[in-house]
This record gives sequence, C-alpha cells and structure tokens, in this order.
Amino acid sequence: MSSKASITVLRPREEVERLWRDPHYRTEHIEGAGATVRFVQAPGDRGTEIHVELGQSARAGKLGQAVQKLRGSEPLSKAKDDLRRFKQFVETGEIPRSDAVPEGELLERKFKQRPAQPLTQDELQKVGA
Amino acid sequence: MPFPPRPIDATLHGVTDYTVGTTLLTAFPRLAGISGTESARQIRTAGAFHAGYSTLTDYPLGLVRLIPYKVHLGLDALGALALAATPFVTGQWREGTRRWFPHVALCLFELSSLAMSDPTGAGDFHGDIDAVRRANMEDPHRKIYDGQPAVHPGSVYATAATP
Amino acid sequence: MRATVWSGRNKVQVENVPDPKILNDRDAIVRITSTAICGSDLHLYDGYIPTMKKGDILGHEFMGEVVETGRGVQNLHVGDRVVVPFPIACGSCWSCKHELYSLCENSNPNWGMAEKFFGHATAGLFGYSRLTGGYAGGQAEYARVPYADIGPIKIEDDLADEQVLFLSDIFPTGYMGADMCDIKGGEVIAVFGAGPVGQFAIASAVMLGAERVIAIDRYDYRLQMARNRARATDIINFDENPDVVEQLKELTAGRGPDAVIDAVGMEATHGHGAMFAYDRTKQANRLETDRPFALRDAILACRPGGIVSVIGVYGGLMDKFPSGALMNKGLQLRAGQCHVQKYTKPLYDHIRDGHIDPSFVVTHRLPLGNAPDGYETFKHKQDDCMKVVLKP
Repeated sequence: MSSKASITVLRPREEVERLWRDPHYRTEHIEGAGATVRFVQAPGDRGTEIHVELGQSARAGKLGQAVQKLRGSEPLSKAKDDLRRFKQFVETGEIPRSDAVPEGELLERKFKQRPAQPLTQDELQKVGA
Repeated sequence: MPFPPRPIDATLHGVTDYTVGTTLLTAFPRLAGISGTESARQIRTAGAFHAGYSTLTDYPLGLVRLIPYKVHLGLDALGALALAATPFVTGQWREGTRRWFPHVALCLFELSSLAMSDPTGAGDFHGDIDAVRRANMEDPHRKIYDGQPAVHPGSVYATAATP
Repeated sequence: MRATVWSGRNKVQVENVPDPKILNDRDAIVRITSTAICGSDLHLYDGYIPTMKKGDILGHEFMGEVVETGRGVQNLHVGDRVVVPFPIACGSCWSCKHELYSLCENSNPNWGMAEKFFGHATAGLFGYSRLTGGYAGGQAEYARVPYADIGPIKIEDDLADEQVLFLSDIFPTGYMGADMCDIKGGEVIAVFGAGPVGQFAIASAVMLGAERVIAIDRYDYRLQMARNRARATDIINFDENPDVVEQLKELTAGRGPDAVIDAVGMEATHGHGAMFAYDRTKQANRLETDRPFALRDAILACRPGGIVSVIGVYGGLMDKFPSGALMNKGLQLRAGQCHVQKYTKPLYDHIRDGHIDPSFVVTHRLPLGNAPDGYETFKHKQDDCMKVVLKP
C-alpha cells in the first residue's frame, strides 16, 4: 500500500519551508510518524510541491491498515489531512468549516458527519468557534 | 404523506415491474433452487407475462401507452393470486414445499408492493396545487405570454464590461 | 430560524433550526430576503445525489442583507445588500487566481470524500450534500457565507430582488454556457432544455449576437417563454416529434447548429420508448447514474467542428456515450459548474444598463413555508411553473 502523500501550495519555496517549521502551522501527524518531507518547486506558476513519505514504523499490514481506516486513525490518511490543512491555512489564513464538518476536514468525521445545518450553542462551544 | 403510506409511485412501480419480470425470467429459478421444474416454467411465464403487459401500460415506463395504470395494478393482483393458486390447482403442492412455496412467496411480495403503490399513477405529483395558486404572488401566465422580450440582441457589446 | 430541509427522497420540510453563527474570521451572516429553487435542487430532491442526510438545509441561490461580519471581512458592512454566488471560493488558490472559482482547492472540507468520486475535489457549494462540503444552504432566514470578502456582490442600485437574485447561479450559468460556445456573431446555437438555465443560455446567446437560437423542450409553455421573453428564434417541441437531431438538421439545411448547449443534465426526459425504459430502469437500480439523452443528441446534432457546451448537471456515469461522433466530428466538449464570481460584475453591469431583465423567469413567488409544495410544483411542471422564488 502507498505510503506517500503530496500536495501543492501556491507560495514560493522558501516561504513554504519556513512556515512548515513555524509552530503555528505545525503538522503533528506527519512529524509524529517519522516521515521524510521534501520540498520541490512546482512547474510554472504553480507554487511549491510538498512530498511526504511515511516511515517504516507507521505502516501496518493490510489487515491493520483496514482496521485503522475504519477507526479513522490510519497514518497515511492523517498525513493527507495534515497536508490539506497546511495548504488551506497558508493560502487562505483559515481552515474551511462547514456545518457538516465544523472542525474542518478530519478523518474521524468521514463516517459521522453532522446534518448540514447550523450548530447549536453547545456544539459551537465544543468546536471552539 | 397520506395514510396508509403509498410511497411507490408509477415510475418506481414500472422499475419494479421490469426488474422483477426480468429476474423471474432469468435468475430466479436458479436462485430458488427450482431450475428445470414445472414450477420454474410457471414462474417464468408469470414473469414474461408481467413484463409484457407492463410495456403496454399507460405509465412513465410503458412503451405503448395502452392499458390504464389502474387496470395494470388489477392485473398485477390477479396475476399474483393466480400464480399462488397454480400449485394447488395442478396438485403439485403435494410433492413438497418447493413446489408451492416460491409461488406463494412471490404472490405475497406482489400484493405488499401493490399495497404500497400509489394508484393515481399520472405523474406521481403529491403537492397541493391550490395552495400554491393561492399563495403565489406572481402570475405565471402573464410572465410567459404577456411580457415583453427581456433581452436586447447583441447588447453584450454595448458596454465595456464584457468578460 | 426556519429552513427548508431535506427529509428523504421526494420530501422536504420547513423546520426550525439554530441560527447560523460566525465560525471563521472571513465569514459573514446574511439575512435572506429572497431565495430560489434550482433545477439542480431537484436532483437532491429525487435522491440522485449521494451523501445527503436528513436535516440538510437546501438552497444555493440567495441574497439579502449583511447582519454580521467576521474580523477578516473589510469590504462588506452590516446593512449592505448582497447577492451570494453559489460556489464557495477562497480567492487565493491557483484555481481561484485563474478565475476557475467553482474549482476552488480550499473551500471543500470533505476533500477526501469528493476525491473518491471525481478524482479531485471541487469547490464547496451551498446546500448540496457532503460531496461539496456539507454547507447549510440558503432556503432559510439566515445563512453563513464563508470567504465573504471574495464571493458576495454588493447591490447598490434600486433594483428589485428578482432582477439581481439570479446573479447567484442561473444567469451566470446560462451565460457561461453561451460564453463557452465562442459566439462571435452570426452563429446558430441550439439549446437543449428550456428550463430557467436554458432560458438564460438562450438570452445570453442572443446578447452575444447569435443570429439564430433554437430552444428545445417538451413543454409548450417553456418554449413560449423562450420565444416571447428570451428571444429564441426557433423552437422544437420533442413531444410532438422525438427526432431532435433530424429537426435540427432541417432547421440548418443539413449543416447542424454551430454550437449546442446542454442545459438539461442527468435527469433528461426526452428519451422515448425502449431506450428510455432501459436507461430509466438502470438509473433507478443505480446501475447508471446519469441519463444521457440530451447529451447524446447534442453530440449527434452538432455540426462537425462545432462546440458542445455542457452546463446541465451530471453526477456520475452514463451508458452509450457517442465517443465516435465526438472524436470523428472533431467536436469540442466544454463543461463546468459555473465560475460565478468571474461573471457577477459584468453581468450586473448588463442588468443595470437595461440589456436584460432576469426577473422574466419568475412564475411563482411563495412564502418560505410553501417550499414543499413549491418543490412538487416545480418538479412536475404544474401551473406553468418556470422558476420558484421563496420569501422567508
């Protein structure tokens, strides 16, 4: 099974590398997984590519991976979530929140989404809006 | 929704007609473990007949709109009962459960599907058109037939703001 | 607040739900004054779009007054009158910077889910299932508008709601359909579908200088509106004669139209006979998600070397796509969800200058509470229904 994830961020390479190391933009699952991260300039005006390869320790056998996928803890999916949040944060200054997924994209949310209507007061507090 | 609930509209009923008719003709005998028997032939005939008169029914999936939808539903009911009765009429029911059970099961399936079918058939519309007309603050007829043309030909070039 | 929520196949209800709140700095809250039911809402209503959940608020064509803004919104103030585009676009990603707003890379928090369906995620949309982010829609009293510094357009003229409401979706969509046809003046354009989007595609083709615009539909009242109000030059009613390709050839003396706009999409009805029963049964059994009649005929009818412009909504896969005709006739197939933000300003100018009055499509103006009947009336084309506007 693949252990690579990648994304393109519309910013110059030096800026992306700097922000990657900035604690404000921390990508905790990628760091925790002992992954190799490479930054490559994307062709033309497309920005910077970030390539992540997860370390050996993060991979499980096929059965392990299926279980992890269902529990929402699979390392590769979490790494992908991390990359997307990094891109959204860097390019727009915020994480997109919808009524179905008010915390932004999370693997845990994939099977348990809210209905697409505004949150109640309690839910708002839990989400930290 | 009206009570008892009848969620199967004419189109969905048509879908079931063709799907079930085709299945009865093809896979059902093998699935029920009765291939090659008299029962299989009876059920195949029922399936073919059902699909056949469906194509001649006046509803959204009919090919030649001949038979009124309510008559079609009547044929469905009669056909179901006839199918259930067949093994008892021919006497084959004595040869074992398999010789009558599929017929009766199919009959019950058909009858319950009929109980959930909305017999109005024409367009399966379930809104309140009078309520709409009363509440409507606009006049549809006027908008369609009495209004002036709402657009000027070639006018895109009349402004500098052309994308 | 009250809102129209999805309650299962062929069912919507107006229910009480919480009021929306600011979640991000670039959000704004809009008090809705007018909102409309779209043809693409019918795909949700009919149960063809997956990932819907009971309680989802529908609606993506809305306008109103700004009542609250987040800290990051400088261009809008409380009290501003705005029309909100249906694609949610961040304005900062590569796609947005290239004006491909409905392909925004950052606005869909269900990127992973959407990627599985289409290969890539596309922009978040208001009120259109989890695939497009699961945002609450605008058939309600209030709505939360993300990236409010990018999307909403301020209305500063004394124009009625219905004259500008359609800048949110159907006018730019119809216009983009015509825009993709590369009209330079003098062309023959055929438009499949004379629903609201089709009406605007026809009107836009007329504005762009097409010489003949042919409207194709099965409902006479829609064809009459196309001719009387949208200025279609010819009409084809395929209920009277199902062979549309042949009729288009006749109208163009064998050449075929220079470009064809598909404003129909996945619930095409003009299949007839065996082909319709086949496709319809497959679709109901979910073996095929999209009904291909309009698109097939569009490709077969278009003149060799012409353009087929697809703005009708499709969701999945279709059978029997005429790939041979497409390739051998050298057609260009152009498609897309409308990049509304690209067109709002120029089209607003055209409305202001009196070149078009978009309110012509409105046949029904109902209180929000009548939404369920409004959906049924719109779906079954009863009472000469063309476009339903709801007033919260």
